[in-house]
Amino acid sequence: MNTATLDLYTPVKATLTKVIEESPTIKTFVLKPEQEFHFKTGQFIELAMEGIGEAPFTPSSSPLVSDQIEVTIMKAGFVTEKIHKLSEGAVLGIRGPYGRGYPLEEMYGKQVLVMGGGCGFAPIRSLLYNLEAEKDKIKKLTFCYGSKTPKDCIYKDYIDHLRAVDKFEVFRSVDKADETWEEREGVVTNLLDEIKINVEESVAVVVGPPIMMKFSVQKLLELGFPGHKILLSLEKNMSCGLGKCGHCMMGKYFVCKDGPVFTYEEIKDQPDIWK
Amino acid sequence: METLVAITKSNWKSALINLIDEYVVYAPYRFWNQLEYGRVTKDNIGDIVYNQPKPSSPLKSLFLPIRENVVNSSQPAQKRIIMGAPACDLSALSILDEIYLNHDYPDPNYMKYRENTILIGFDCHTTNEHCHCTSYGFHPYPTENSDLVISLIDDNFLISAQSDKGLSFLEKYLSNEEQAPDEQKEKATEIRENIEHDLREKNKDLPDYDKTGEVVMQCGDDIWDRYSDTCVSCGACSAICPTCSCFLLIERPEFEKVRSLDTCQYPGFERVAAGEDPLRPLPKRFRNRYMCKYVWKPEKFQSKACTGCGRCIEACIGEINKNDLFKEQFKNLSIEA
Ligand SMILES: Cc1cc2nc3c(=O)[nH]c(=O)nc-3n(C[C@H](O)[C@H](O)[C@H](O)COP(=O)(O)OP(=O)(O)OC[C@H]3O[C@@H](n4cnc5c(N)ncnc54)[C@H](O)[C@@H]3O)c2cc1C
Ligand code: SF4
Ligand code: SF4
Ligand code: FES
Repeated sequence: MNTATLDLYTPVKATLTKVIEESPTIKTFVLKPEQEFHFKTGQFIELAMEGIGEAPFTPSSSPLVSDQIEVTIMKAGFVTEKIHKLSEGAVLGIRGPYGRGYPLEEMYGKQVLVMGGGCGFAPIRSLLYNLEAEKDKIKKLTFCYGSKTPKDCIYKDYIDHLRAVDKFEVFRSVDKADETWEEREGVVTNLLDEIKINVEESVAVVVGPPIMMKFSVQKLLELGFPGHKILLSLEKNMSCGLGKCGHCMMGKYFVCKDGPVFTYEEIKDQPDIWK
Repeated sequence: METLVAITKSNWKSALINLIDEYVVYAPYRFWNQLEYGRVTKDNIGDIVYNQPKPSSPLKSLFLPIRENVVNSSQPAQKRIIMGAPACDLSALSILDEIYLNHDYPDPNYMKYRENTILIGFDCHTTNEHCHCTSYGFHPYPTENSDLVISLIDDNFLISAQSDKGLSFLEKYLSNEEQAPDEQKEKATEIRENIEHDLREKNKDLPDYDKTGEVVMQCGDDIWDRYSDTCVSCGACSAICPTCSCFLLIERPEFEKVRSLDTCQYPGFERVAAGEDPLRPLPKRFRNRYMCKYVWKPEKFQSKACTGCGRCIEACIGEINKNDLFKEQFKNLSIEA
């Protein structure tokens, strides 16, 4: 147990030091916690706005940095709208980190295929930072990213950076292109037709909206990926993050504690996995 | 029943008078036509109701209040004695313990309540219409999670200890009491056997707990549609259930949090930001409660997620009787097999 969870419901205070606009509906919030905050990539935090509400987010920053934490948030409802209105200096609360993150050991020595959709890039970025730092340990990394329109593509500078990283390759697609777009058009799963993957020595990671995850998994299975080599990060309604409140229950799992990262094999028989 | 002491009514009364100075003591009282836990005072000791089946509120309410500040609350530190919990409620604490005292994240309030409470269970000398503890492997007398157990026989309180806490309590407060006379011990045992027999008899068509999962799994949409037809999503079945333990955290100023008991029977329980809500249709929500108690939680936890107290049947304003569903569907299962 880490110190942050000793008093389960009291958050660590964190000051907002910077707000980065990523797209019309997505912003990245750079936070400086009062004390060092450690997490593993894929784990999530509960971020609280005092007196307003709390919601789960997966940090988008590197798990190797502990004095600062970045959270990329899409405006989606009550709490996220309020968070979007905040400016530098605001104090938020962080509980966590919670759950089971990505099993990096499973990626060592392998080709890693990462598929991201929309705001799913946020948790993926944290994974990519981590894998970049450990790139000696993997064979290759292929990142396929899809978003609705070019305007919705986030982390543009980071994409440029990734393209220059040895062993990394990046493919992007938008559902609907415009005149500025020079990459693919169509759903993200189409990108799988273009890339070369050796399924035998690969692990796939899929993060995005439910519908995107559903079709990506279907396609990966068709390509011959076994269920235990497909890693998913699930999003469910969550309140406590501690495996108690029941909101995130998906069959026999508490997604917050047993997940949020699961292999497809683990969850394929559970109810409503894509909802 | 390893009865340790027998104590007369008047001695028990004076013991209680001393205890209420030191502890906050709760016991069952009759309000109108039902039992409810109430605070014991000098003036109402004589009104305590012994050995009757379950107070209308479950024991859980005294460990997981409907609403509670989980960051800043002094309540859990109180030293308490809770008398009168029936076996079904005491056994229900096992699954709450698994969830709330989970070694990764023991819940501070719940842990304090548990540590600071002495539980005195009662044997059930009668039953309510929908009691079915014996179908799920429990007895109508406490066998776990109580420190002391009381059976009132012929104006004598037969008290046995079930835990070290209970034993030291006996030594401290009731050390010079008599051993119970044999014929009273035998009478207590006989009542246990009779009640157990009655319960088994009246519930003989109910499947055992280890069969409930199978029954629930085989129910098609038609069953869930039909049985949920009169459900109004009031959530009473979960509120009064001794094992239902879901909650919502409500954010307060100063980063304080209020835990408010919640239920999957309310719309929106699983709603996510995009508006997707797998449990929006009422029959799916209704089914969720059965799947949770009889299929999913049994896969995840050691302790049973339903102890057969029957409160959910008594509390339902739609008059939905889960045992009707189980009997009807169990019959179908048996026919198919
Ligand atoms: C593990 C995890 C990681 C996540 N990571 C990210 C991330 O990195 N970036 C990101 O942008 N998003 C992320 N999300 C999603 C994010 O948590 C949601 O977008 C956020 O909770 C929405 O909150 P809101 O108050 O703005 O939305 P609202 O739609 O207003 O919902 C607020 C909360 O209340 C519930 N609710 C709403 N209406 C009702 C009702 N009528 N009855 C009961 N409950 C209701 C909702 O289900 C939600 O839990 C993640 C989610 C999870 C589970
Ligand atoms: S269900 Fe059993 S233990 Fe519970 S009150 Fe009824 S008889 Fe007593
Ligand atoms: S589901 Fe019904 S019978 Fe079972 S423990 Fe809960 S209230 Fe009692
Ligand atoms: S969020 Fe509370 S149990 Fe998972």
